[in-house]
Amino acid sequence: MDATAVETEIQRVGQALADAFPSKRGHPLKAIDDRAMDAAARDAELRAALFRFVDVVPACRSLDDLAAHLAGFLENVHTQPPPLRAAMRMSDTKAGRKALGAAGAAGVRHMAHRFIVGEDPAAALPTLERLWREGIAASVDLLGEATVTAAEADRYGARCAEALDTLADAYADMEERPLLEADALGALPRANLSVKVSALTPLLRPEAPARGQRDAAPRLRELLRRAARLGAHLHIDMESLDSREAILELVLDLLSQPEFASGPSAGVVLQAYLRDSPQTLDTILDWARSSERRHPLVVRLVKGAYWDHEVVEARQHGWNVPVFERKAACDANFEELTTRLLEAQPLVRVAIASHNLRSVSHAVARNRLLGGRDDDIEYQVLRGLGDDLGHALAANGLRVRAYCPVGDLVAGMAYLVRRLLENTANESFLHDQAAGVPLAQLLAAPGTET
Amino acid sequence: MSLTLPPFANEPVLELRRATERAKLAVGLGELVLPIRVPVSIGRDRRAGEELVSTDPGRPERIVALAARATPEDAGAAVAAACDAFPSWAATPVDDRAAALLRAADWMRERRAALAALAVRECAKPWAEADADVCEAIDFLEFYARGALQLAAGAPLLQVAGERNELHYAPRGVCAVIAPWNFPLAIPTGMTAAALATGNTVVLKPAEQAPGCGLRVVEALRAGGVPAGAIALLPGEGDAGAALARHPDVATIAFTGSGPVGLELLRTAADVAPGARQLTRVVAEMGGKNCIIVDSDADLDETIPAIVESAFGYAGQKCSAAARVLVHEALHDTLVERLAGAVEGLEVGPADAFDTDVPPVIEQAAQQRVQRYTAMAAEWGQLAVSRAQDVPAEGWYVAPVLATHLPPDSPVLRDEIFGPLLTVEAVRDVDEACDRVDELSVALTGGLFSRNPRTVRRVIARSPVGNLYVNRSTTGAMVGRQPFGGNRLSGTGTKAGGHDYLLHFVEPRVVTENTVRHGLVV
Repeated sequence: MDATAVETEIQRVGQALADAFPSKRGHPLKAIDDRAMDAAARDAELRAALFRFVDVVPACRSLDDLAAHLAGFLENVHTQPPPLRAAMRMSDTKAGRKALGAAGAAGVRHMAHRFIVGEDPAAALPTLERLWREGIAASVDLLGEATVTAAEADRYGARCAEALDTLADAYADMEERPLLEADALGALPRANLSVKVSALTPLLRPEAPARGQRDAAPRLRELLRRAARLGAHLHIDMESLDSREAILELVLDLLSQPEFASGPSAGVVLQAYLRDSPQTLDTILDWARSSERRHPLVVRLVKGAYWDHEVVEARQHGWNVPVFERKAACDANFEELTTRLLEAQPLVRVAIASHNLRSVSHAVARNRLLGGRDDDIEYQVLRGLGDDLGHALAANGLRVRAYCPVGDLVAGMAYLVRRLLENTANESFLHDQAAGVPLAQLLAAPGTET
Repeated sequence: MSLTLPPFANEPVLELRRATERAKLAVGLGELVLPIRVPVSIGRDRRAGEELVSTDPGRPERIVALAARATPEDAGAAVAAACDAFPSWAATPVDDRAAALLRAADWMRERRAALAALAVRECAKPWAEADADVCEAIDFLEFYARGALQLAAGAPLLQVAGERNELHYAPRGVCAVIAPWNFPLAIPTGMTAAALATGNTVVLKPAEQAPGCGLRVVEALRAGGVPAGAIALLPGEGDAGAALARHPDVATIAFTGSGPVGLELLRTAADVAPGARQLTRVVAEMGGKNCIIVDSDADLDETIPAIVESAFGYAGQKCSAAARVLVHEALHDTLVERLAGAVEGLEVGPADAFDTDVPPVIEQAAQQRVQRYTAMAAEWGQLAVSRAQDVPAEGWYVAPVLATHLPPDSPVLRDEIFGPLLTVEAVRDVDEACDRVDELSVALTGGLFSRNPRTVRRVIARSPVGNLYVNRSTTGAMVGRQPFGGNRLSGTGTKAGGHDYLLHFVEPRVVTENTVRHGLVV
């Protein structure tokens, strides 16, 4: 394919998307409305202090306790901006600690509400309905504490089953949104739930994948059956590399079983930051070729959310780092995988989950030049971070799904911290966008940015 | 010094999350030929025998090694031979000694799967732990080779006109290495390598449960170029070890094992034997009763898996294993409920199955000991997990136990049980937890889970243990990263895998030369 034609089309698509950003500030982080985040992105110590505070908030037993933690973190920040010095002074008195604790807790709750749509699926329905009216579908993700016992795995399974019921019920009454409900390959379920295998079993062991598979299989099978009965889509999230083999094998194996030949619609995740993700895609496509399922497997292409974890784990063990360490290499791989996925259609359905305007524009442009229809691809954004991009995509007539975490503050904290860390990283696309990097540079091919 | 080496780096463990790596280990096990015959090996002499038998703890009828059983006379002969070999090995340039250790490391690297497989069979080390044991053995060789090169430079002294001052380190002589079975390759290799690197000769007595692994250590060193006379192998039991310890020509005893044996060695060494020309130095690593403190702000999602790993990895048979959890009363019930659920999910099974979380304990006596303490815990406290029936009938299996509500004076809270038995106690606050840790006469490892930096600092200041781990598991010390060893009655305060470890194997000698002749500095 003519590279120049692709680049030209990417520029065109990217410009159209940028023009459609609802807020001309075009800055999702500004939406968090927290100057602390800007400061955090600039100062590593402050960033560490804030994230450690956010992380511990749900475990604190009183406002006093909260304030003591906040002060403990802040005293490790060497260059304290004036508001921090004021906070440290407040922590010296009991009344001051109470006020500081209350302010800290309120700030964290405020941030959490940007990312987490409700305490449970029922509470999330107003938001999901509003999104649907605005032309945006959703995939609900149930946040929870880590699963370390069988009882916890059972509880998570039951919560997922209940969520499927709630979602199927609620979405049945919503008005028609043709773009969100069908593509060239057929109907698309309205209700959509993302689940984590690590929550469906306490027995995921990196060196013994079969063990976690055996334990998670009955619970996942029940959810697939229920999704099939309700006509809902079940998406199985990917987590760290430690569990990739267990999760992918388990899902493909279950979906191969005759009882699931006609449903439900289901999907997996491909993480472009993994160096060996092209081989993982081979595995997925080989499976899809031999599969006789009615619903093509949905492959959600993401960058991957466990970058720090993967790097740290590899360095501590002396292993080759399994993820790309240069952003440009990762972005280039994302585009190569996008192209391969598009070329593999209709074997699989393609979902592009990225907040990187270049990656998204590339998918749109590449598909058009391959002769595809715009609705061949679903674009996915994260609630709270990709809201503006989601609306811009919808305004351009593209199919958008928002990934909507649901859960209480305790359960949501790990998710929240990950999102915050991910998006204050200096290499983050959102960080560049927030810093006012010109559009042409944001849309430049990976590795060619100046 | 002409030998220059790249900086030390830990030997990477296998990436067992990848199927291809797991397959390598399975091949290693398939190629393992048993039983291994282990002679008493002194210099060029080898005396075969079958009196000492090591078996697979998971299948006791499977014989892993048939060893000669060293007698006290063998011990005497071995020390005599090591004495004879000492002058020549001590005079061997440090570069050559270091190079021999590095070649021994290479020998082990080429046989990683086979060595791990032997540890799986002889000591029921599960795969990941067996592989880590081989890596740690390699690390010790690499680390102490570098350390010896550095030590050979001596230490700087103040110099004044007219005199030349020098401090250099000389080897002490014959070192008796008395090794345990729980790190059957790493620990004998480490103690032996430290002694050899610094120019001592060694008589190695491996644990009676692990003569096969001991043989491999000696083979590696000899294949690397350590002269046969400089390293003797003495498979045997307590009497052989005792004979070594009281031998007047043993200059250093390097011991890792139980408290009672260690204290006996210290007593023996302190009693200067008639005819002895040197004080015997003892480097001893003994047991612990390791506590993990959990404050009210701990993240249980992280804490529980870390506690499980610390207490039940290798069936609790690491000196660093956690035995007691001291948890803030506000979290006690939640922690016990979740921890019990996690323990119930542990798979008890053979060491060679990747699925296994808790392998069998080393021998029948250990099984009975754990059962005895379990019964005691059930009588005086409560068992939060009880699944005694749920283990394989053959082999030295015991079910993992979680016990609560024990009286403070219970032996279950005091004695080192060395098995998969963990207790939980509620405390008012972290200070009370520190008080309970402080009451103990042992101080090897400790753990703390807290997200408050001030609490962390407070506990660090009060903690007597040799190795304190904050917000992580208490096991898995790495050479060069977590120098390992305990305080109080847990050991002599020496740190294996640390920069000052080699100093225990040498004696400093200072030479001052007058450089003034006829009033002139020449």
